[in-house]
Amino acid sequence: MQIVHHNPARFQVGNMASVAVRYPIGHYRVPMYLRGKQVEIIRILGRYINPEEEAFGRNAGSKIWSYLITIPQMKLWPNYMGDENDRLEIEIFEPWLEHLKISNNE
Amino acid sequence: MSNDHTHTHSDHAPILHDEVPCYYEILEISIRELLVEKGLIGPEEIREQIEVLDSRSPALGAKLVARAWVDPEFRKRLLDNGVDAALEMGITSYDDTDFTVLENTDKVHHMIVCTLCSCYPRPILGLPPDWYKSKEYRSRAVREPRAVLAEFGTILPDEIKIVVNDSTANQRYMVLPLRPKGTEHFTEEQLEALVTRDVMIGVKVLHN
Amino acid sequence: MSDTEHLVKHLPNDIGGAGCHEKISITERPLYPWEKRCHALLDVLDYHKIVNTEEKRRGTENLGTEMAGKLTYYEKWIVSASNCLLQKGILTPDQIADKTKEVSERFNIKM
Repeated sequence: MQIVHHNPARFQVGNMASVAVRYPIGHYRVPMYLRGKQVEIIRILGRYINPEEEAFGRNAGSKIWSYLITIPQMKLWPNYMGDENDRLEIEIFEPWLEHLKISNNE
Repeated sequence: MSNDHTHTHSDHAPILHDEVPCYYEILEISIRELLVEKGLIGPEEIREQIEVLDSRSPALGAKLVARAWVDPEFRKRLLDNGVDAALEMGITSYDDTDFTVLENTDKVHHMIVCTLCSCYPRPILGLPPDWYKSKEYRSRAVREPRAVLAEFGTILPDEIKIVVNDSTANQRYMVLPLRPKGTEHFTEEQLEALVTRDVMIGVKVLHN
Repeated sequence: MSDTEHLVKHLPNDIGGAGCHEKISITERPLYPWEKRCHALLDVLDYHKIVNTEEKRRGTENLGTEMAGKLTYYEKWIVSASNCLLQKGILTPDQIADKTKEVSERFNIKM
């Protein structure tokens, strides 16, 4: 039987993306400090039930892509005291990621 | 009703146990018994799960680390797919989480935190220490990792890049530390004995 | 922005980088037996998807700032589990009230 992939991953390793600025209520898995930041995809982790829906009792059904992303600490925190090469890595689900609107050579 | 769980003995009741249960323990007993009475969980399931919890400790993580140090092929498999590599060593995941191993090098040091709750590789390292779950560690580790490391006695030179891994959903992380110099002739068992929980969380390093 | 909407949008557990400067208290202790039982209970509830792990987390996040700040880790877990079981209609308020009274009396604790 041919497997049809209805929802291929929208981001690839090496892509830059923006973390959406949006506010679900009740439960979320994207910390405030990350919202609106520009991040780089470094690993496609697979597909999972959306934890923000799981928190309201959905235990089965469609799954969404999850990615490991990285961002320089300097871009996260004003007056970051460590080294400029220090980074943060975190897992993030596809609904929270947006393609960059304009090319960016940062 | 007393909900002061810090006191241990009631003045007006005979002491039936070493410690009088606090309000929250009463609640835990009550919920468990209600669910058993309704047939939703088996009475033996809690005891069996406690046995599972007790069977997990940093010794398992140390086994993975030591094997990765002595077997380059295993190291690759461990970094590529932590769940499968742990299974190879007989370590099952009991909680449906994924397991990703982070490789320290002479240029990169990883440390793990969960800012939103307390995600931790429990199947591999056992239950986390209180400080890992504290608001101080969770709040500060992402923003000032070098200051936090210093509180654990870990001072890293600026040329070592620090990567903080905030664990928030399905991935559970463990740090694969650098193998100390001078251990070339150690047996795998001797190597395992070097590897501590804090090293695998990434708040300490092994001395060279 | 209203002066309270941040309380809705920003959950009290979301504390990464958020203004805490206190030193980390690096101490070790074994769990109390009831804490370990509580942990095992929530694992079992997740296995059966009676209360899954994310529901339990949501429950701890929705206790409100005062309880979030004052209850210990497993105290939050058991209160969260209780609330989830009530919300899902698996347990009723009467059942919890009657059972906690019965258990307290078993230990000669006056409620």
